[in-house]
Amino acid sequence: MNIFQRNLEILRQHDPALAAKIAETSGGVLRIQSAKSGVPTAMHKNRDIHSAYDPLREAERWADHQIGNCQSGETLIVLGLGLFYHVEALLAKLPQDSIIIVVVPNLSELVDGLAVRSLDGWGERVCWVWGQPESLASQVARQAKRIRLLTYEPALMIHQAEYETFRSRLRDQLAKGVSGRLHIMVVGPIYGGSLPIAGYMVRALEALGHRVSWVDHSLHAPGFQNLNAIQDSRLRMTVQQRFSDTLGVITLAHVAEDPPDLVLAMSQAPLSMAVLEQMRRKKVITAMWFVENFRHLTYWQQMIEGYDFWFVMQQASCMEAFKNAGASHVSYLPLAADPTLHQPITLTCDDQLELGADVSFLGAGYRNRREILPVLLGKEWTFKLWGNEWDRAGALALVLQRNGARIDTQTSVKIFNATSVNVNLHSYTGSGFDPDGDGVNPRTFELASCGAFQVIDHRSLLPEIFDDSMMAVVRNPDELLPVVRTYLHEPELRKIMAEKSRQRVVHSHTYVHRMQTMLSTMGLACPDRIGAILQGDRQAEALLTRSQDCPELQTLLKTFPKTDRVELVDLANAIRQKNPETKLRREELLILMMDEYRQETRDFI
Amino acid sequence: MSRSLLLQLARLGDLIQSLPVIHSLRTDFPERQLDLLCAAPLVSLGRFFSGIDRVYPWDGERWRSFSTLAGKDEKDLVEAAEHYLTDFAFDSYPLAYNLNNHPRSILAAHLFGERVIGSGDLGPLNSSRPPWVDYLHQVACERGDNRIHLADAFCGICGVMPPALTPILEPPDLELPGDITQIINDSSLIKIGIVLGAGDADRRVPVATWKRLIEGCAEHLPNSVCVLIGGAGEREIGMAVENQLSTIYLSRILNCVGRTTLPQLANVLHRCQWVVGSDTGPLHLGVACGARAIGWYFSRARVHETGPYGVGHYVWQYRGTPSTASINGAYDKEYLHVPSTWPVLETLELMQDQDGGTGLLEWELWNSKRDKWGMFYTSGEASEVGITQREEAWSQLSHCLSNHQVVSNSHAKIAG
Repeated sequence: MNIFQRNLEILRQHDPALAAKIAETSGGVLRIQSAKSGVPTAMHKNRDIHSAYDPLREAERWADHQIGNCQSGETLIVLGLGLFYHVEALLAKLPQDSIIIVVVPNLSELVDGLAVRSLDGWGERVCWVWGQPESLASQVARQAKRIRLLTYEPALMIHQAEYETFRSRLRDQLAKGVSGRLHIMVVGPIYGGSLPIAGYMVRALEALGHRVSWVDHSLHAPGFQNLNAIQDSRLRMTVQQRFSDTLGVITLAHVAEDPPDLVLAMSQAPLSMAVLEQMRRKKVITAMWFVENFRHLTYWQQMIEGYDFWFVMQQASCMEAFKNAGASHVSYLPLAADPTLHQPITLTCDDQLELGADVSFLGAGYRNRREILPVLLGKEWTFKLWGNEWDRAGALALVLQRNGARIDTQTSVKIFNATSVNVNLHSYTGSGFDPDGDGVNPRTFELASCGAFQVIDHRSLLPEIFDDSMMAVVRNPDELLPVVRTYLHEPELRKIMAEKSRQRVVHSHTYVHRMQTMLSTMGLACPDRIGAILQGDRQAEALLTRSQDCPELQTLLKTFPKTDRVELVDLANAIRQKNPETKLRREELLILMMDEYRQETRDFI
Repeated sequence: MSRSLLLQLARLGDLIQSLPVIHSLRTDFPERQLDLLCAAPLVSLGRFFSGIDRVYPWDGERWRSFSTLAGKDEKDLVEAAEHYLTDFAFDSYPLAYNLNNHPRSILAAHLFGERVIGSGDLGPLNSSRPPWVDYLHQVACERGDNRIHLADAFCGICGVMPPALTPILEPPDLELPGDITQIINDSSLIKIGIVLGAGDADRRVPVATWKRLIEGCAEHLPNSVCVLIGGAGEREIGMAVENQLSTIYLSRILNCVGRTTLPQLANVLHRCQWVVGSDTGPLHLGVACGARAIGWYFSRARVHETGPYGVGHYVWQYRGTPSTASINGAYDKEYLHVPSTWPVLETLELMQDQDGGTGLLEWELWNSKRDKWGMFYTSGEASEVGITQREEAWSQLSHCLSNHQVVSNSHAKIAG
């Protein structure tokens, strides 16, 4: 019996279906050759999957590195197959009764490995999950709690797309099963376009049942804007920087007083590197949702190492740039809408009169808009222009409403609802449409969520969010006028398309969806902290189960509702509620003692 | 033999000021073993305390680390804490004396003691304070004209009288850096310890003032050497003093800043005739080791509670600038003001056994004395009413103290 046959026997004992499938599958993904140390090694498309010198030693180092991050009680999932030297090395470092799951997106690769590497002595401790990415994700989500993904990058590259899909589906699966409640501190900007998004995030997180502390720096906006009175620009910038730094310290004080599980910052949040470094020293997990065009606003480069997680609204090139700059975790997270605010409404006659039009545009006066929108003037329809930064608007000044005032959310919802054709042009500082335009702006989602019809400029990431049956897409500025004209004469079609876009938002693109994705992404990356809490590990019921051998704690935990999240502070507070004459048990004294130290904030700032 | 534990988790000064209560407890209960629980960095010093059998470290950093262990169940945290306590073989005691009113100290007292005397005696959840603790709390909050010394109040808390004699700390001979040994052991020299640092930045004396004092010592006290004292964090101040001094004075200083452990520092201070400074911790240590002290007390430092313990010490108490000093001579409420003048010449006079003068407007000189109620400080200017009120305070706060035997019996009962 050769190695392959012996391996098949081992597999058959645990997973006969897999063994049968392997028996009828041919290899050929990996090119096997001998390493300098004499053991087999592998290549794929001229790239080494394992060391050409000593794969065993390389695997040992990988396992050492991974094991340092793992916590007891976690399920370890290995992504990246190769000749599984790394799997064997990892198992050797784990207790004998522990099992790890290895994800197999392609059986031919597994066949190659089984032909040259023996599973004797360790293969029975591996649970191989195989199939299509969706099925893999379901299997893993069903089998495992407190998942920690370990990636062996050289082999992961072979089936990168499949692994990416697997991750994404796994994240979605886990998001559905979330029962735990996090304490999330949302840090907003002082002012600007990302400010309302911070508010939507807060509402979404609360709707998901999390405890949210909103550090709302917009309260300080009048003071900050007063600094514009300082004439000397260098002096003004210095003072503004100091002001911003102070707001960062204020944020730290909030963190110190009521430590969150996660600090979630919105673009332009006034958190300096010094503040972020202090948070890291204090083991606070931080994330930033960067809802800007990374090519236009580049301050992320200075902050890249400050945040544990980055979420961006652009894909490939953006994520690559962030990774190259040193981001440890960067994920794509498009914008969204809040259907409880962005919704179809019936307008009063007065509102309809002021806010209604055949064609409208709402947004700031960027160069491309100034050049493109005049084509809509002087036609057979009414055209209204809304928004700020439209000084020296030229011919457009004739249709500029409210003298170029900033439009709030409530009014914008009315405008969207009161307009037959909403024009949605993404901002660009050049002429025409942004040739690199990828990310989709919040207005796209908000218009759709309102059930309002829109004509939008093409964005490379738009098709995976909305399709052509939901909105009219123009690919160059010349198409704008005929498309607007066409749809103005198609009220029924507009209505159907707008309703489809609204359904799409409600189904897949609300801020609640985004927050679920964001949290499950972090949960996967931090299974011992965010992940464990999301999976309900901190709920009274789960804690009770895990403290069977500590009866004193059990008595205390039973005083909490089963699904309540219970932390050290809650236990300590429960103890403090007891009759002052009570003689406390030793465990209770220890809990109180640790809580005393937990409260210490003196070195936070 | 019954055993008891004394808890003193505060800083160096408080630990040294616990020597009188240790002495009194051992005198009154010679048959009872007395152990000490103190802050981990001070354990090496506590081991030299006469009357203490065993010293346990209280490691705040360890406790802090338990409380911030991410992702751990409380069960695991409790286990981690238990392991820590087991590692140090923490014992349990029929009786614990708790000197600090901090919740951590109260909790620790109940962790180790079956019964607690002092702060938290009625349990960690009971907010009522025993009379002596309440008295100290009021003194701390109101900063009234209290005359009972903190070290004596510690005795009151534990139900014993202040000791008849001032306890002395006898540090063992320890190896010191060569240059320090050579000077410190030269009996022909008068060694003056200069405590450069302070627990808090607002209690620091300017470097230029230290320079003047050192120059004054060199000019007016033949055969004197100023021994610069401070922790590792104060090395820069020590170097600044050296840099500001003219080279002719460099042979008249010995820079020990950041070069000694606490027991070694006790060794150095043991050989000093005087110790001068504003940082009460090293001042108390110097006094406990036999030096005479001249304290410069400003900011929050107050002579009556924390003046050097024993007879023959001086404290210059800052009383505010003339413009803000209150008319009746009570301490200026704005005690956080930094002095604009310093009693340099006056300190030199005291070291030459002169009267130190009374011409300073910002400072008032106090002189330490003692009676059966413990330590007190007097000033030529101040009323003596406060001194006589101590007896009344003692009788009110320790209703059994008029009959010491009764106290002993009551404690014997408590200790089982």
